[in-house]
Amino acid sequence: MIYLDHAAATPVSKKVFEASGPYFLEEFFNPSSPYLPAKKVSKEYEEAKNVIARAIGAKGSDLVITAGATEANNLAMAGVSGGVLYLTTEHDSVRRVAEQYGGEAIKVLPSGLIDMEDLRGKITDETELISVSLVNNEIGVIQPIAEIGALVREVRMDRLRRGVKRQILLHSDASQALNLLDVNVARLGVDLLTLNAAKVYGPKGVGALYVSHEVRLNPLTVGGGQENGLRSGTENVPGVIGFAKAVSLAKEHLNGNRKKYAEFKKVFLDELQGYELPVKKHMLDNFVVLCYNGIDAERLVFLLEEKGVYVATGAACAASKGVRSHVLAAIGLTDSEIAGSLRISFGETNTKEQIIEAARIINEVVRAERERVAHE
Amino acid sequence: MKLFGPREKELRMSKPLVFVGMSGGVDSSVATMLLVQQGYKVVGVYMKNWSKDLPGMKCPWAEDLADAKRVAVKLGIPFEVWDFEKEYFEKVVEYMLSEFRAGRTPNPDIMCNQEIKFKLFFEKAMERGADFIATGHYARTKDGQLMRAVDENKDQTYFLYRMPEEALKKTIFPIGEMKKPEVKKLAEENGLHNAYKKESMGVCFVGEVGMKDFLKEYIDLKPGEIRRVEDEKVLGYHEGAVFYTIGQRHGLYLNGVRGEINDGLPYYVVKKDIEQNIVYVSKNLNDENLWTDELELKDIVIRKFEQFPKQVSVRLRHRAPLVPAKFDGSKLYFENKIKRPAAGQSAVIYADEIVLGGGIIV
Repeated sequence: MIYLDHAAATPVSKKVFEASGPYFLEEFFNPSSPYLPAKKVSKEYEEAKNVIARAIGAKGSDLVITAGATEANNLAMAGVSGGVLYLTTEHDSVRRVAEQYGGEAIKVLPSGLIDMEDLRGKITDETELISVSLVNNEIGVIQPIAEIGALVREVRMDRLRRGVKRQILLHSDASQALNLLDVNVARLGVDLLTLNAAKVYGPKGVGALYVSHEVRLNPLTVGGGQENGLRSGTENVPGVIGFAKAVSLAKEHLNGNRKKYAEFKKVFLDELQGYELPVKKHMLDNFVVLCYNGIDAERLVFLLEEKGVYVATGAACAASKGVRSHVLAAIGLTDSEIAGSLRISFGETNTKEQIIEAARIINEVVRAERERVAHE
Repeated sequence: MKLFGPREKELRMSKPLVFVGMSGGVDSSVATMLLVQQGYKVVGVYMKNWSKDLPGMKCPWAEDLADAKRVAVKLGIPFEVWDFEKEYFEKVVEYMLSEFRAGRTPNPDIMCNQEIKFKLFFEKAMERGADFIATGHYARTKDGQLMRAVDENKDQTYFLYRMPEEALKKTIFPIGEMKKPEVKKLAEENGLHNAYKKESMGVCFVGEVGMKDFLKEYIDLKPGEIRRVEDEKVLGYHEGAVFYTIGQRHGLYLNGVRGEINDGLPYYVVKKDIEQNIVYVSKNLNDENLWTDELELKDIVIRKFEQFPKQVSVRLRHRAPLVPAKFDGSKLYFENKIKRPAAGQSAVIYADEIVLGGGIIV
């Protein structure tokens, strides 16, 4: 098996699994219980949150642990009473929520980068939240969050000067980025940041929302008042312990990972034939978007599956809904180019030999499919 | 194994073009494979009839489509999606809703076959130059007649009796001669079996259990009384008489009657008064409302046959046993009393293996 879809899911790394294990079996206590073993678990839980938070330059108490990035994105907008702006290429867990708040989409340039002029033009005194993901989940484009952060700071100063009461906040979904980019809330200038364990070799169903002190959110889940009252429910201790381990490993291997995937990308593209690259720059190192115009990439997915190579045509959740990629459409691809596009995302399961082998198999499958289409 | 379609020799000279409806299920997957093996030029088509999610009911269309496409790719044939959503809503869903509103219990699958699969799909395939269409139904054709499948347990002619005559002449049912276990085995042997797929049941898009929930999306609740048919005593309340079907015993909210001993036996719906919005129930399985020895039919379809036999067999539900009857052109007369099917359901008439026709029960 050659798995080239790490943007959809990553395996839990062995060290993460081992770190979580005891909290399923022996250290199973409810952190809210009064006796000592539970107190110990509570302390370790908080310490794990600190580890995660420190990785993004924050404190553990700034984090709200959620059941994944989707919930964190939903929570980020809960409590917003003003206007919402979101990048048109955002994941559905931002788009669909933003739409509920009457959100307006910000355009992207053909490169996939945010159109800063469009953003500037759309900010009014009513705008309360801007949501732009750090890395796009379909094309791997890295957005200039720090630049947007600086703009938001400017707008904030200007509002204060003019006596406008409404606050303006910046939210960014950094799910895809933690093991390949420096993610620091101060340097990015974000007020809200979404993290996801499942994309960085941690467990599924665990995420976090960083919430700066300036932000007042409304909880979506009420009950026992855990997570500063913003997300009630007994703490997912093994999940968070695992998340912390995954984050530590990601930080540790950050530079090594970038180098490795940059090399993978080079040998991969050297070996491949007859493709186009709709996205070329400002990308996360482990992302490749290949376009085979005139070919149905969904057929390629199944043909490659038979040869043990697993790739995607877009976000896994969008593909399962049978809709064409709104991201590829937004960067100006034609319907036929969208239909012919594959998303490849390298990861820790891969070796250089695998990448070369995969490129050869893709070449072979594409050639056969082109022949079949010609004879149809 | 004998299969229908042109003989092999002729096939080698000119490959007839077949458009096959692929649902992603094992039956249509095997049907498609057989057509490919028999040398037809095959195009796989997924008919997109419904895609809307309803509260608590995720429509599986995209997964079904992906399953169908995976099979098409494996067989190396072209694959297309034909969108009939608008037509399906107009011809099937609206018909279904209006029947329910009128207090009847329609069968949307029969309407889907009549209006969509063997009409719109057939017509579009013919426009595209098809020689035949094919589906994964368990049914057979012979000399332009529709015939029961070899697998009596799976026979789907009950759903097909209204399929238009023009389509029938040009339809291939590749698995009609096979039994389900053989189909499954063939699928497994050829790597077509989707081990993770549940078999779809009942109405294609909601399933039998979901029908009431589905209807609630479109028909307002209208609470009313449930009365005992024998003495008009109010036993409980319902959410709208249109949601209930004669013979039904689940989903009734009954309190019982003070002072009466609960014997644990279920009450059945035996009668509905749509105008007064009253549902009548009884424990008496012999209640006269539940039984009949004749049924009047409307919207009758009579297929061509040489001589209408005096004695026919009738099927009153999918997979129900055939019962002997006589038919005078509008009414069925049964030798023995039968459990009365709900109005709006179909009675399908057979002469031995041949489908003579049928109609909607009044």
